[in-house]
Amino acid sequence: MEAEKTLEGWAPEPDAEMPLAQIVELAFDYRGNTTVVKRDGTELHGYVFNRDADAPVPHLEMFDAEGGGPYRVPYAEVRTIHFTGKDTAAGKSYAAWLARKQAEKVGRAAGPPPP
Amino acid sequence: MSVPISQMWTVASYVLTQRFRGRKQYPLVLMLEPLFRCNLACAGCGKIQYPGQILRKNLTVEQCLKAVDECGAPIVSIPGGEPLMFPEIGRLVTELVARKKYIYLCTNAILLKEKLDAGVFTPSKYLSFSIHMDGLREEHDEAVCKDGVFDQAVEGIREALRRGYRVTTNTTLFDGANPERVRQFFDAMMDLGVEGMMVSPGYSYSKAPDQEHFLRKQRANDLFRQILSSPKRRWRFNQSPLFLQFLMGKRDYECTPWGNPTFNVFGWQRPCYLLQEGYAQSFEELIQGTRWERYGKRSGNEKCRDCMVHCGFEATAVQETFASWRGFRDTVVATVTGRV
Repeated sequence: MEAEKTLEGWAPEPDAEMPLAQIVELAFDYRGNTTVVKRDGTELHGYVFNRDADAPVPHLEMFDAEGGGPYRVPYAEVRTIHFTGKDTAAGKSYAAWLARKQAEKVGRAAGPPPP
Repeated sequence: MSVPISQMWTVASYVLTQRFRGRKQYPLVLMLEPLFRCNLACAGCGKIQYPGQILRKNLTVEQCLKAVDECGAPIVSIPGGEPLMFPEIGRLVTELVARKKYIYLCTNAILLKEKLDAGVFTPSKYLSFSIHMDGLREEHDEAVCKDGVFDQAVEGIREALRRGYRVTTNTTLFDGANPERVRQFFDAMMDLGVEGMMVSPGYSYSKAPDQEHFLRKQRANDLFRQILSSPKRRWRFNQSPLFLQFLMGKRDYECTPWGNPTFNVFGWQRPCYLLQEGYAQSFEELIQGTRWERYGKRSGNEKCRDCMVHCGFEATAVQETFASWRGFRDTVVATVTGRV
């Protein structure tokens, strides 16, 4: 079974190939907490649940790691985003569950382990 | 069809009122998600894959009611997450019943008996428990990734029926479903005495971990044709017969995502229950600010290409019923004869 890809642990820096707006988009799609690194050096840990790149003031929205918020952060204040939290969608495939289930059946059919 | 007359009348008068007012985009069913937390972790569900602080969040009842009032849909579906884990589910349902909203409380029923014993709910024509059942014991337990859940759900259904509640089932079919087993499942649900069944193909949800087992359109048509082409008289469905015909490939519909708008802890979800492309702060902003032309089959959006899910197409089918005499006639014929 092909390993599932995850952005967990990724710490990109915006550049011409990966502009900030694209990193925000990936953070929005990411099912884990991230660290929003601001231009003033402060950091905000939490879950990015929304963004609007087309708004008059492009911004993202997030809840912090304690569930506080939502906080609205303008793109202009963001230097980058690091994918620091666990990817909650990774490694939980239906195929993996089926494989486990099958292994259990095989194990049961083989009988109890010898004493 | 098994929808009570009063509910049919409410929906019919609502749809006709919207048409007379010239509204093109109006909601039919509000999908109200008061929480994402669940006591199951089904592989096909991307709804529960959030960090802990998000899973611990609940909407307040006041937030829920504000959304219900803003939206105005006559039917409120409460999925989740598992709504029976919502601490104020009893008060929320009571308030919705007082507003004469028809409620489908979508639950896996694991906690149903406990909540009924605790007196959290009161039977009402406005309240229906919509029990998640993806097939007979083997198929259901496999779909929810946990053994024993089918039996718990059956126990919950029996208890709710015994206490006089309306009970329906909702079933999602995935690739590899066995038509004969599905037909046996329909028989089993009718034997239990549920009011009606709802069925829909799964969607290849972009954030769901299982991308291989969702149904593509042609295979979905073939599967539903095999299941429904000679329906038994005793089967009752709690959904539009035109939608069932659409599932069988007899009708070609376009998605009406505004028909089932979704509200949850993030706000009003764009554009639909399944895709998460952003959030609006108000229902008005959702309707006015969403680029609807980017979605649906005609848009060419690949995320919408194979989608046949009820939350996008059932509202279309209901609209067709009231948009033409032919649609009305076809609905009446299917309802009376039981043939789809």
